[in-house]
Amino acid sequence: MKKALIVGALLICFCLSAMAQNNITPDRKAAIDSLALEKVRDLSQYISIIGNKKTPWSEASRVIERATELFADGSEISVSSLYRTEILHFPVKKYFLRLAALNYDRVNITWFKIQYISDLELQPDGRYVGVITIYQRFEGIMDDGMKYMDVTKKDITIYVEKKSTQIEGEVVDFWDVMLGDIQVKETTR
Amino acid sequence: MLVKHIISSLCLLAALFFALPAQPPIDLIGEEGDLYAETKQVNQFFRRFNCEETILGERLYPGDSLYHNVDLRKGYMNSLFDSQNPYMSTDLKQAFVDDIIFNSRPFYLDFHGGEWFAEVRASFRNKNKEETVILFLKLQEQEVGSKWVFDGAYLSRFQEVFVVDTASRDSFLHPLSHEIGFQNMNRMFRNNTSLGAFTADGFEADHLTLLLYEVQNGNLKFKQVDEVRFHFLQANNWYFELSRFDRPGFNRGWLISKLTQIPDDKKDILKRYIYNNYQ
Repeated sequence: MKKALIVGALLICFCLSAMAQNNITPDRKAAIDSLALEKVRDLSQYISIIGNKKTPWSEASRVIERATELFADGSEISVSSLYRTEILHFPVKKYFLRLAALNYDRVNITWFKIQYISDLELQPDGRYVGVITIYQRFEGIMDDGMKYMDVTKKDITIYVEKKSTQIEGEVVDFWDVMLGDIQVKETTR
Repeated sequence: MLVKHIISSLCLLAALFFALPAQPPIDLIGEEGDLYAETKQVNQFFRRFNCEETILGERLYPGDSLYHNVDLRKGYMNSLFDSQNPYMSTDLKQAFVDDIIFNSRPFYLDFHGGEWFAEVRASFRNKNKEETVILFLKLQEQEVGSKWVFDGAYLSRFQEVFVVDTASRDSFLHPLSHEIGFQNMNRMFRNNTSLGAFTADGFEADHLTLLLYEVQNGNLKFKQVDEVRFHFLQANNWYFELSRFDRPGFNRGWLISKLTQIPDDKKDILKRYIYNNYQ
């Protein structure tokens, strides 16, 4: 998975010169979108593993670290429900730890076949920012048949940032995608 | 080529579909039809308003056959109004659509074009009490990129503190106060229940300054954002409000919730009215 991300990031680097300020070519945008979606899918897989009671703690702990690495420092996840006015805010790691503590016997996360990716906008620190919207059905099932289910809209911030790496002694610039703040809203459906 | 043709056909079907919101839903894109129809982000509102994406949400660029396509745009526009709002008449909506699409110079929303701003209803904690604060934000262009900045605020408590009691006949510093070195201010500040009465005509307390001061002093603590809406003044002689609707069906997401025809030279008054609407 990590290898795929590196390959994706390096693919982006070849069109670096075409990426003028606030002027990302359609092809480049498509490559960035694809890399960002890959990270979002990774996140969903990690959430399934973390939330599953059958996952040993050592494994859950390792996956929580991997999941946290997808995010820019300081990112938060806000969660709102249809039946509660209060919005809960969690630092990402705390969110995953809380998820691990829920301990469903089985967790099914289904993606709706739709996602929406915004344009990328340049922010004052030179990074680009975008938002990916996805819809997921979450089912947490206990062995005694008790089931919790919701449909949420997740608006996921992505940061697109220029980075450098060394390949066989040569410095290569590339654009990396990090996840940022996420707004999770339960939706009527 | 084939893919493009399929997408074009889907788009035209969608245009028809959106143009007839009262008709039974066509199972256009399977189980997720309502989610496709939903205007999921403000960004998507811009793209649909301008006809810069396909029905599947794929970005259209200048040179693409459907980019700014009039028929598809008309279909999109009809889907961008809150269909449950009885105060937006069909005639008014039609006049707006005609004006922005069929004008000799069609109008397109510009993300960086200014003349639009956000209104955020947020909760703060004041000791054990919860208070609602209205914040106004605008997008400010920077040397590199852009950012949202606070441009105004409203908190009812501040309004009450600075209310000017016009009926009061004894809340003033008399005209010879200077001769006693304004000693009478002592009494004025001691009985500090209606200090607004001592201010000049036209005085308006700047709620944003007061709010930032209260937060920095730790008297107010941010809790959460409860609601967001946007006000658009970009279109010539039109104003509209954009709100988010979470409800079943196809008319959901970010939709035009208010629409008014207003001459451009009156827009400053309208903006002031919105900023002070709660006062």
